Amino acid sequence: MNPVEFGQIAVNAVLLSGILALVALGFSLVWGIMNIVNLSHGAFVVLGAYLTFYLHELVGLDPFITIPIGMVVLFLVGFVVQRVLINQVIRAPLLATFLLTFGLEILIVNLVNYFFKADLRSVTTRYTGAGLSLGPLRIPYIRLAALFISFALVAVTAVFLRATRPGRAIRATGMDIDAARLTGVKVAQIYALTFAIGTSLAGAAGSLLSMIVPFDPNLGGTYTQRAFVICVLGGLGDVGNVILGAILYAFVDVFVGARLPEMSQAFTFGVLVLLLILRPQGIAGKKFYA
Amino acid sequence: MEAAASNAPAEVLLQARAVTKRFGGVAALQGVDLDIRKGEILGVIGPNGAGKTTFVNCISGLDRPTSGTILFKGREITKMPSYAIGRLGLARTFQVVKPLRQLNVIDNVAIGAMFGAGGKRRTTGQARERAEQVLEQLGLKHRREHLAADLTLPDLKRLELAKALAMDPELLFLDEVMAGLNPTEVERAMQMIEAINRAGVTLFVIEHVMKAIMGISDRIVVLHFGKKIAEGDPGQVIENPQVIEAYLGERFAKRAKSALHKK
Amino acid sequence: MPEQRPTLRQWIGLTVTGLVLIGMLILPGYQSPYDLLTYTRFLVLALMAQGWNLIGGFTGYAAFGNVGFFGVGAYTTGLLMLSKWHVPFFPALFSGAVLAGLIAVLIGLPVLRLKGHYFAIATLGVAEAFRQIADTWDSVTQGSTGIDLPVRTDGEFFYYSALAFVVLGILVTIALKRSKIGYAWVAIRGDQEAAKMLGINTTAMKVLAFAFSAVFAAIAGGLTAYQNIHVTPGDFFQLEYTLQMIIATIIGGTGTILGPVLGAGVYQLLSTYVWTRFLELHPTVLGFIIIVFIIFLPRGLMPVLTGSIDVLRGRRRFRWQALLANVRAHRVT
Repeated sequence: MNPVEFGQIAVNAVLLSGILALVALGFSLVWGIMNIVNLSHGAFVVLGAYLTFYLHELVGLDPFITIPIGMVVLFLVGFVVQRVLINQVIRAPLLATFLLTFGLEILIVNLVNYFFKADLRSVTTRYTGAGLSLGPLRIPYIRLAALFISFALVAVTAVFLRATRPGRAIRATGMDIDAARLTGVKVAQIYALTFAIGTSLAGAAGSLLSMIVPFDPNLGGTYTQRAFVICVLGGLGDVGNVILGAILYAFVDVFVGARLPEMSQAFTFGVLVLLLILRPQGIAGKKFYA
Repeated sequence: MEAAASNAPAEVLLQARAVTKRFGGVAALQGVDLDIRKGEILGVIGPNGAGKTTFVNCISGLDRPTSGTILFKGREITKMPSYAIGRLGLARTFQVVKPLRQLNVIDNVAIGAMFGAGGKRRTTGQARERAEQVLEQLGLKHRREHLAADLTLPDLKRLELAKALAMDPELLFLDEVMAGLNPTEVERAMQMIEAINRAGVTLFVIEHVMKAIMGISDRIVVLHFGKKIAEGDPGQVIENPQVIEAYLGERFAKRAKSALHKK
Repeated sequence: MPEQRPTLRQWIGLTVTGLVLIGMLILPGYQSPYDLLTYTRFLVLALMAQGWNLIGGFTGYAAFGNVGFFGVGAYTTGLLMLSKWHVPFFPALFSGAVLAGLIAVLIGLPVLRLKGHYFAIATLGVAEAFRQIADTWDSVTQGSTGIDLPVRTDGEFFYYSALAFVVLGILVTIALKRSKIGYAWVAIRGDQEAAKMLGINTTAMKVLAFAFSAVFAAIAGGLTAYQNIHVTPGDFFQLEYTLQMIIATIIGGTGTILGPVLGAGVYQLLSTYVWTRFLELHPTVLGFIIIVFIIFLPRGLMPVLTGSIDVLRGRRRFRWQALLANVRAHRVT
């Protein structure tokens, strides 16, 4: 591989890591705080993408404007979903939550499929093709913006978790639910809040993705998988770990994808299984969300 | 209380030599040497965090000592997996009880009878019969069909004991079986433990309930910060100034001593 | 766990099963080939569910990759039949099952050390990896184009074979449940550490459960391969199959003997019905059904059925609260 190829791939990896971090953060929050592996996480990414698409095509809004709208909508959706559905099985054995979230995924993806059909969509604007040229390397503006927005959202979330009351309540609940309850934290609401933040972030990632790649209703599944691997790589400790995991994953994914596209999935899973066996707490992770 | 162990030359059932256990930088156990003599009730006391449960974990195979050796009936069991140790005749209870929640009482105990030291020659049916015996012995017979998840705490503790007993152990480790029991229940537990001992089981009992441990033990060992700081006759141990300073407190030592004399 | 003498419940179960069995034996005479196919599908699903029930139901390790063994069974059966020795169907099927079992032991040893989520995802990954291997190992599996088995069109053959295996599966499950192995499995599910302390070699027992589940899945795979004729990685390693066997077991009742078969029947019924009524939205409806079952009937239908026997005998009163009690137990307030 020549240096230019290598460079371009590296650039792509970095740009990708932003969105991956965003997707993985929501997933990691829900997993770390509520101990729920949300198999429908990708479906919310898809919802975000289609929402942006819809608002752009039908109402003419600039896709970047739709991001905050999408986030609010998906926040509310996530809140309701948690209260009505997820909450019923929070303390049930793992299999129950796995299957419930899986059922939810099937439901959402199929509904989207029904209403929007399975054609590949994409959100294009006047500035879609434009980009920065650093010598032989090409950096599309949209991807760059996506990177910045992703990290901005991740940073805001991190600050929220550390510096605000609800944020600290979330972390406390993740560390020790009984102690948190004793200090007056309303756990049910915190769980709903946490889940809603997760879906909101997923929606934002979906909105960004809609501008970058062609998508269809099945986009979600791969992102749930990636979020999972990133969490295992980085550990469920804190936001920093998620970023670390995302960057690591992005690089591995992009490089393996360039060299051995057919084996990339097997390779990823092989690495995953090995990692799980050798170091289940991830590269730098802790058990709770801190 | 006089024990046969103090008269006859004691056969050593379990030998722990220089057992050390480190978790990261913290040494939970430091060079503990201990002999458990056949037929005795060995009481173990010490403040929380002294390493008592860690010691039991290391012996029973749940955990492995960082260094040191453990011999049971002359065989080295230091690195043996816990199920193999269980089959050799060593059983334990857990401080925070671990019942098989979704099964009923009789099945819980039958499983002990099936896989414990006596298990090899038993069919599942015979294991259930043994379980019935143990339940009878511990007064749990009336609860045999109840789900473990539905039991009260004292019954759960008895179930924990029943499971271990059903394994037909030669050496039984009891980890704070009396925690959370009221005085009457403590009394009953003491009698049960002594009955088990009379039936031929050697016992290693961790307890905080001083009246109980003083009452039943032939010998006492005191652990503090992972080290053994005293060992011997109960009356002597509680007068040991180190023990008093570390664990008992002056006033208490006096009370314990008088309780001992009253027996 | 049952008592040693058969209880009324067991007699009823036996009778019902016997009647159903008789019904199923005479069934093919009265069904169109298409309907027979549906029944065969139900039986194959029941077989997979029975196997999954051993590792996921009894032992409590929710494996998410059993389609991997399904595919191994399919390919092994097919390749042996197509090989220069022209191995007949049943020996080929048997070989596939044995191979799957061995692979399960090899993979199970490291993977069964993982817990909960991690175990599920690891097994999922393994199945995916198998699919990719089948896709890329062109020299053996012909890659994504797949292989074509010798043609056999008499549906009755597949129906009766599957039925025989399902009955065998029931008998095997009964034998295992009553044996020390079965007790070891539920002990592991109850509290693995306690199980170890009680003298159970948990690693060996878990691997055994996993291997059994692989054997069941492989037989199902081989049958389906022969019936389908065309075997491709995409078709025979799809996650869909794993989910079906899990859902079938859950609907029927995990850790029970007849649960997987019952659940497979219910699932097949629902699936066929939903497919004809709601073709486009059928995954949505299925997803909804899954959700409803998980929330209200997580222990499946078997406890409901056995419970209703008690209700009819007057031993227990029927309470709607019983359904909701389960929900309340798992909520957070």
